[in-house]
Order: sequence, then structure tokens, then C-alpha cells
Amino acid sequence: MDQAGRTAWPGAPAGPEATLDAEAAELLPFLKQGARADLQTAAAQHILALTGTGPGRAVLAGQAGLLQALAELAAAAAPAPAVARDAARALVNLAADPSLHEQLLAADPGLHARLLGRALDPQWPWADEAAAALANLSREPAPCAALMETLAAAAPGSGLERLVCALCTPGYNARAPLHYLGPLLSNLSQQPAARAFLLDPDRCVVQRLLPLTQYSDSSLRRGGVVGTLRNCCFEHRHHEWLLGPEVDILPFLLLPLAGSEDFSEEEMERLPVDLQYLPPDKQREPDADIRKMLIEAIMLLTATAPGRQQVRDQGTYLILRELHNWEPEPDVQIACEKLIQVLIGDEPECGMENLLEVQVPEDVEQQLQQLDRQEQEQLEQQQRELAGGSKGEGPAPT
Amino acid sequence: MEGSQPDAADDRHMDAFLDKFRSQPYRGGFHEDQWEEEFDKIPLFMKKAPSEVDPKENPDLACLQSIIFDEERSPEEQAKTYKDEGNDYFKEKDYKKAVISYTEGLKKKCVDPDLNAVLYTNRAAAQYYLGNFRSALNDVMAARKLKPHHLKAITRGALCHLELKHFAEAVSWCDEGLHIDAKEKKLLEVRAKADKLKRTEQRDVRKAKLKEKKEQNQNEALLQAIKVRNIRLISEAAGEDEDTASEGLGEIFLDGLSSENPYGARLSLDDRGRLSWPVLFLYPEYAQSDFISAFHEDSRFIDHLMVMFGETPSWDSEQKYCPDNLEVYFEDEDRTELYQVPPKSTLLQVLQHPRYFVKALTPAFLICVGASPFCKNFLQGRKVHRVK
Repeated sequence: MDQAGRTAWPGAPAGPEATLDAEAAELLPFLKQGARADLQTAAAQHILALTGTGPGRAVLAGQAGLLQALAELAAAAAPAPAVARDAARALVNLAADPSLHEQLLAADPGLHARLLGRALDPQWPWADEAAAALANLSREPAPCAALMETLAAAAPGSGLERLVCALCTPGYNARAPLHYLGPLLSNLSQQPAARAFLLDPDRCVVQRLLPLTQYSDSSLRRGGVVGTLRNCCFEHRHHEWLLGPEVDILPFLLLPLAGSEDFSEEEMERLPVDLQYLPPDKQREPDADIRKMLIEAIMLLTATAPGRQQVRDQGTYLILRELHNWEPEPDVQIACEKLIQVLIGDEPECGMENLLEVQVPEDVEQQLQQLDRQEQEQLEQQQRELAGGSKGEGPAPT
Repeated sequence: MEGSQPDAADDRHMDAFLDKFRSQPYRGGFHEDQWEEEFDKIPLFMKKAPSEVDPKENPDLACLQSIIFDEERSPEEQAKTYKDEGNDYFKEKDYKKAVISYTEGLKKKCVDPDLNAVLYTNRAAAQYYLGNFRSALNDVMAARKLKPHHLKAITRGALCHLELKHFAEAVSWCDEGLHIDAKEKKLLEVRAKADKLKRTEQRDVRKAKLKEKKEQNQNEALLQAIKVRNIRLISEAAGEDEDTASEGLGEIFLDGLSSENPYGARLSLDDRGRLSWPVLFLYPEYAQSDFISAFHEDSRFIDHLMVMFGETPSWDSEQKYCPDNLEVYFEDEDRTELYQVPPKSTLLQVLQHPRYFVKALTPAFLICVGASPFCKNFLQGRKVHRVK
């Protein structure tokens, strides 16, 4: 793996750039469609090797013709499987380098649409590679926005809807597990248009993602889904709907954080049904980053007072209390503590349980409202920082 | 008929017709006092069709019916008529009749798949409201065979699965429907409901499993406690005494431990690891009995007797059953020999006696008044041992 956190396939050490340039140019004829199969295979392998190193990639980036040929090969149905696969993997490596995005798109303007088409094609054997390339591309804001536009412009049923479908349907593509669609969606969910679709109350979209928070086969997919959900939780106006019965997001955020606790009967009844009577072998989410994102998502849901109440009422404190006792990672522990503070703070004093009925003198009332506004602004500022800090995320891919 | 000018001949006929009524009353009119009923009998003015059409009562209606149900019309037309009839019954909530109509329509085996799909789907709806969910499901599946993307059929199918508590299938059908129309409100609603019910059901399964495990653990602890004390058990059925060391017998007793005995009490273990037994005191002299629901194994017989016989019981006509007079016995399993128990013994001491066998997990003891004629009689001819 070359750059940390980016998906890449291994390559070979590079030689001096000038010869590389020339070498690369020489490969172009062999990459064209219709070239001799064995030569094509060798050429593709060579390109893949080049993409494994920084200088190699830079060289390739300068060769628009090569890039275009590569893109075509990666999506072509005709050539030998190894060729398409290597070409696709070369693209993944190239896409991992943000400095190359511009050239890639310049060389092949239809790149996004082509990659999306392949990633979401249930029959395409290299759909994973296409998805990985897209995941890499989407880490940067500009390509991410461009991708979102491409998706939005797609025919109904082919754009984001298809992406969510592919992510949520087990066995969508028999030859590609498509876990990379997780981080792709997570990155896309930073775009307001994506969130608008995901949180459309007239559809059933976000609901389909919820069970994936327990998807044990891939932390990549799981992390992508959790990241998506967390980004969705920034939408204050949707909190009531998210916490309500039509979506019921909270149990799905809490379940990965819960172990097999022996709660009393009374405590158990306070929890959402999904968290009651968990079997003795229940495991918590093993990935610390994902645990942290789950806590962040719940924290976001406590932004409004009604949301806070809902989160409290569903027994969140009980789960977090146990999590805190178990949590080995210090930064996750801190996040946990902060959330617990929000949950147990603000307890009404005796006689003030129903704040609506307390008589507040007018000047005090105004002061309180002022404080409220300030607090809200601070919170939003914090969340903007959180969102900015989490751009181009992805749990460390393998 | 042509022309705007009235035919003169017709005019004259009309005049002659009307002139008649100067002398003759018109007989074809309604009767003043029952004109409303008569009105309702004319098919055109009927607000509601009669459920049965009797040709004698209602010749006009019977006539009309024979026209629309004429066998000479095409199967499609006939099927459509039956469909409409079924729909009318459906609107009136007469679901049984609706089912019959739709069935007739389907019997015509017309070649229009849309019409047949609708007939199946509508019949499914009627069956649904009659509570015949499986029949409804069959109809819906038949409808989908003809038209796989028939949204109403899919919705109805999801509703049926919901009623049949097939929550996963209900969600799955909703998803199929939403694939066709992502915003279909009813499907969204049913999906949310089914999903929640599915998760609740999963919770119930987990809860039951946990409870079962807990109970099993408790029962094993009880059995272990009995074993450790070397107390001999006998089931109701078994005729021979067997060691509780044998596994098979242990299982029989585990079952017995779970259920309450007829008196509603069961063997229990307290947090100090001491057992309490449901115990029967039998008074053969008067054929009476007393049931002690929780006789702690470390408590003594005399302690219980003191409390129970603080006042002599109502059946004690001679008023002689006082704690000091009472003698406690148990029979060995062969019911031949008696063993006298010193009242100051604890229950545990007696239960551990090598000849004591606990039957049906409820130890029983015989009590009578020592030196009474009954007691002497009772003991006569039987071997009596004194228990230490």
C-alpha cells in the first residue's frame, strides 16, 4: 500500500522519469482495442506497476492518450479478463492520487459515468475495482460534487437509488462484493443533494441502510454506512422523523455499541426492543473509528431539545454507561463521556419537571433565549468543524 | 324518426288515448298509500338491488339480469360483468358475495390477463376482509403470475403476510413493490410496521430463550442440591426405587421441577443454598390433610405443628389434636412399614432417611394422636420403626 488510507494495488519500483515517459508512450499502441492479446496483457501489467509509485503515476498523468486508453480498457467487455482487471486496478491507483483527478477527467470526461455504470452493473466482474476507483475519487470535494451531479442526472432508478440498492442487496453482483460502495456513499453523503435523497420522507432509503450497521463481513461497508448515517444526522430538521417510528434510527446506532449486558427487568424494558435480551455472545463493534462515528451520530441527534429527550427516553444512557466501562480507546472514551454528560445533565429540579409550567419573569426569559441562541450557534460551529474534519473519510481500506 | 313536425296521425292517437281517461280511471299508476314501495321495485329507480332476485316478485329485474349474464356474450364481457358485480358487493362490504362473483368471472377463463389479474386481486381483497389470509395470498400470487408488477396485488400480498405474521416476507414484498413505485404510501407504511413487528418478534424469541436457559439452570441447581443431600426421589409412574444418581431419572424430575404441583407450589432453593419443599400432612383418622407450601428443610416438624395446631382444627371432633399429642409417621415405599419421626427432627433429617422416598417431589407424612384408639388400630399389624 502506497499512501496510507487510500486503496491501492502494489506496483514495482520506478526508474528515471525521462525514460519512463518514453516507455509509457511506447505502450500506447499495445493498449488499444484490437491489439495482440498477449501484448495487451503485458502492457496492462506494466501500466499497473507504474501506477504503484508516485513518479510512475505522475508520468502516466501526463499522457492523456494513455489515460483514455486505460479508461476504455477498464470498461471494455472484449479483452482478456486479466487486461480489464489490471487496467481497472491501474485506474484505482491513479484515482487515489488527488493531484491526478483533473488530468484523469480531462483525458476521459465520461470517466465518472463510465465508472458508475460499471460499478453498478450486476454482471460486471470488475465492479469492485470501479467502485474502489470511485471511492478514491470521491474523497476530494470537487470530484465528489461532480459525481453527485452525474448521479443526479442519471435516469430514475439508475442513480443514487441504484447505488443504495446495490449496497443493500446481498449478492447484487455475484462476482464482486462491492464493499467500496460503503465509503463511496459516505463521501457522497457530504453533498446536500445526496442527503436530500437519503432522507426523503416519501421514500424508503435511509431505512434500508440501518441494518448494515451490523454487517460483520466488512468493516469497509459497515464504516461507510455508519459514516453516511452520521452525515445524515447533521440535518436537524429531519431529527424528529429519524428518531420516530418511520425510521427509528437510534436502536441501529446503539446496537453495535452494546455488549451482552445483564440489565435488570426494569432497565431492560426501557431499552428499544432491538437491544433487549441480547444473547451472551453479543460482540461490540470492533473498529474504534466506527464506534466513534456512532457516538458522534447520536451526539448530533441530541442537538435539539426534543431530540435529546427522545434519545434519553430510549435508554441510551444505559448502553453508554456499559460502553464506557468497557471502552479501551481513550478518544472513543472521551466521546462517550461527552455524550453521557449531555444525557445526564439538564435534569429538571423538583417542581420544574414540566418546564412549560414554570413561571419565568420576562427579563430572565429574554436572557435565557439569548443564551440559547448562542449555544445553538456554538453547536453548529462545532458541527461544521466536525464535518470539515471528516471530509474524504474512510476506514482504512485493506 | 325524422322531421320536427309532429305527425298528425300520432297526435290524433294521443288525443284519443288521453280522452279515454275522462271516463276510465288509469289503472297502471302507483297506489297512493304504497307508492314508495312500488317505486323501489322498478329497476331504474332502485337504490339498492335486492340480494336475491325472484323472477315472480321482480320480473323486470330478472329480465335485465338475464340480458347482462347472457351466455352468448364473449367471455371477456361476461367476466367484466362479474367483476363489476363483485365490485358492487365489495363496496357494500358483502365480501362473501363478492368472492362468488369474482370466482364466476374467473371461471369464464377469458384470455385477457389484465382482467384476470384484477379478478384475482379483487378476490384476494375480499378474502382478506373475510380473514382468509392464505386464500387471499394464493389469489395474489395467481394475479402476479399473470402480471408480476401489479402493484395492488403486491400490496395486498404484503398485507396478508403481515396478518399471517410472516414479517420478513411482508418486508420483502413491500420492497418489491417499492422497486416499482418508490413512493407508494401504503407500501411504505406496511414496510415500517412489518419491520418493527419483526424486530419485536426477534426480541420475544431472545427473551424466551434466556428465560428457558435461566429456568434450566435453576432446575439443574435444584437437582444438584437434592443429589448432594442423597435424597431419594420417586416419580409418580415408577414403581421401583432408583438412585437419583441415574441420569434418566434426573430428566424426569427436571420436568417435574418446572411444573407446579397440583397445589401450586414448587421446590425452591434460597440464596443460602437451603431447600424448601412443598409438604403434605395427612390425617388418616379423619381423612383430612394439610398442605405446607414451603417447608424449610432446616425447620422442625414441631415448629410447624405448633403453629398449625395452635387451635384444634374443625374436623377434630374430639379436640385431641394438640401439638404435644401428635405423632408423625412416614410409610416406606412398599407401604408396609411405618417409621415414626420425632417431631423435633428437621425435614432434612427425615428426607435423608434411607427408607424415605419423596414421591412427586412432595414429601408426605401421616399424623395421628399417640395413644388414641385410632392410632393403636392404625399401627396394629404393621412393623413400626423409630427414627433417630
